[in-house]
Amino acid sequence: MKKYQVILVLIMLLQIVACDDVFEYSPYVIDFDSDEINLTQKNIDHLLSTEVPDTIIIALTGDGHRFYDESEKMINTINNNFDIDFLIHTGDFADYGIPQQYQWSNEIFSKLNAPFFVVIGNHDLVSNGEESYKEMFGDYNFSFIYGKYKFIFVNTNSREYEFNGSVPDIEWVEKEITPSEDYEKAIVIFHTPPFDNDFDSELEEPFVNALTRYNNVLFATHGHLHSYNFSRPYGDNVPFVNTSSPEKKKFVILKLFNHEFTLDLIGF
Amino acid sequence: MNLLWTSSGFNRKLNCYRYFAVLAIFLLFPVLTNADTIPDRKNNKLLYTFLPDYYKLQYAGGIGFLSAGVGYGFFNERIDISYFYGYVPDWVSKNDLHSVSLQLTGKPFRLNLNNKTEYYPLNIGIFLHHTFGNEYYITLPDYYPEDYYWWYPGRTGGLFLEGQYNYQFRDSDKVFSQIGFYYRIVTRGVYLTSKISNTSIPLEDIFSLGLGIIIYK
Repeated sequence: MKKYQVILVLIMLLQIVACDDVFEYSPYVIDFDSDEINLTQKNIDHLLSTEVPDTIIIALTGDGHRFYDESEKMINTINNNFDIDFLIHTGDFADYGIPQQYQWSNEIFSKLNAPFFVVIGNHDLVSNGEESYKEMFGDYNFSFIYGKYKFIFVNTNSREYEFNGSVPDIEWVEKEITPSEDYEKAIVIFHTPPFDNDFDSELEEPFVNALTRYNNVLFATHGHLHSYNFSRPYGDNVPFVNTSSPEKKKFVILKLFNHEFTLDLIGF
Repeated sequence: MNLLWTSSGFNRKLNCYRYFAVLAIFLLFPVLTNADTIPDRKNNKLLYTFLPDYYKLQYAGGIGFLSAGVGYGFFNERIDISYFYGYVPDWVSKNDLHSVSLQLTGKPFRLNLNNKTEYYPLNIGIFLHHTFGNEYYITLPDYYPEDYYWWYPGRTGGLFLEGQYNYQFRDSDKVFSQIGFYYRIVTRGVYLTSKISNTSIPLEDIFSLGLGIIIYK
């Protein structure tokens, strides 16, 4: 019997040594590996180190939630069939903001043969998800210029901030959209669209005004509604594109060429 | 209750020190009692009846970095109900975390290895885990419409399988005469449901380990 006990203890010790992360202290412990932190800046650096092609090809997805198998299939489809420059995820990367859900999604998206950028969604903010997003990706509002296009990512999940007037940060959006010599057209990316109940109704008009003021926003793309949709809810100025989602087994291939864009809905 | 734990960072720190004081008392208990002063069970019948049957100290297992608990056994130690207070210090996570958990363990198998050692090869348990803090709500805050989320981050739960050894180190008429050690493999409902609907999730990601000691009264 003694021998049996010793073997059991040895097996246990072996298990502990063999894999890290075998001890969980709480589902809300944020303890990401070095390849799971500061991803926005790392991906911007990666993207800007590549030469800008004449036609920029971007994959659009969002509302990943717990559709990990579908997400994995989507990434494989993109890797095998498209030479994209980068991917945009319009939020709800982690189903309920749990660190493990952030890690599961990142594990899948990090297999993409291109950089990817995630704007924060309302589900990403549940529990201590705001901290996890900050740790894994960085700032909630960020932008970068690629070619002659500026990509502006905005946190628009007003309900998660109790509609306190600070989200979305209109001042920041206005500043980012102000024309400069560095870029010609802007693409604005967010999770909750301004016409949704979860968007602060008092900020809807200022937000749309900011988007239309300089007539330089090519289009806005968002998630939250899970299905593909192309509409012009505020007149002719700015088209809105709801990316599809892994749940619907569809994604969008966006091509940017000469201030024009095309959108292709791809099933997988 | 929630207010008490989230009022300020200072209070959280203070509570954390208090918690360590309680831990220290738990740890020192066997040291503070020696053979001459240990009352036998007969003389302290009232005290004996109401004292928890055991004190536990657990490492990991999804309910805290360190968790201190008390529990009662029923049906000749076949059922164990324990209540834990768990703490995660800020040097293992971004922020410290306070939580409580309630555990129900069934112990269907018991082997007497010798007259001092018993072995429970396979205990089966279920636990509920409540994390304190405004962001870990258990009812939807009023700025959400009804049924906006089905998930309440303050209350999670899971299942575990456990093995346990007990060792009687002195006369069973004395208090604190038996000590136990257990190891468990834990999964949470939120991980299990993800694994069920997604074959791509690695199996090892949904399981974790916990270790604990038990001091029987």
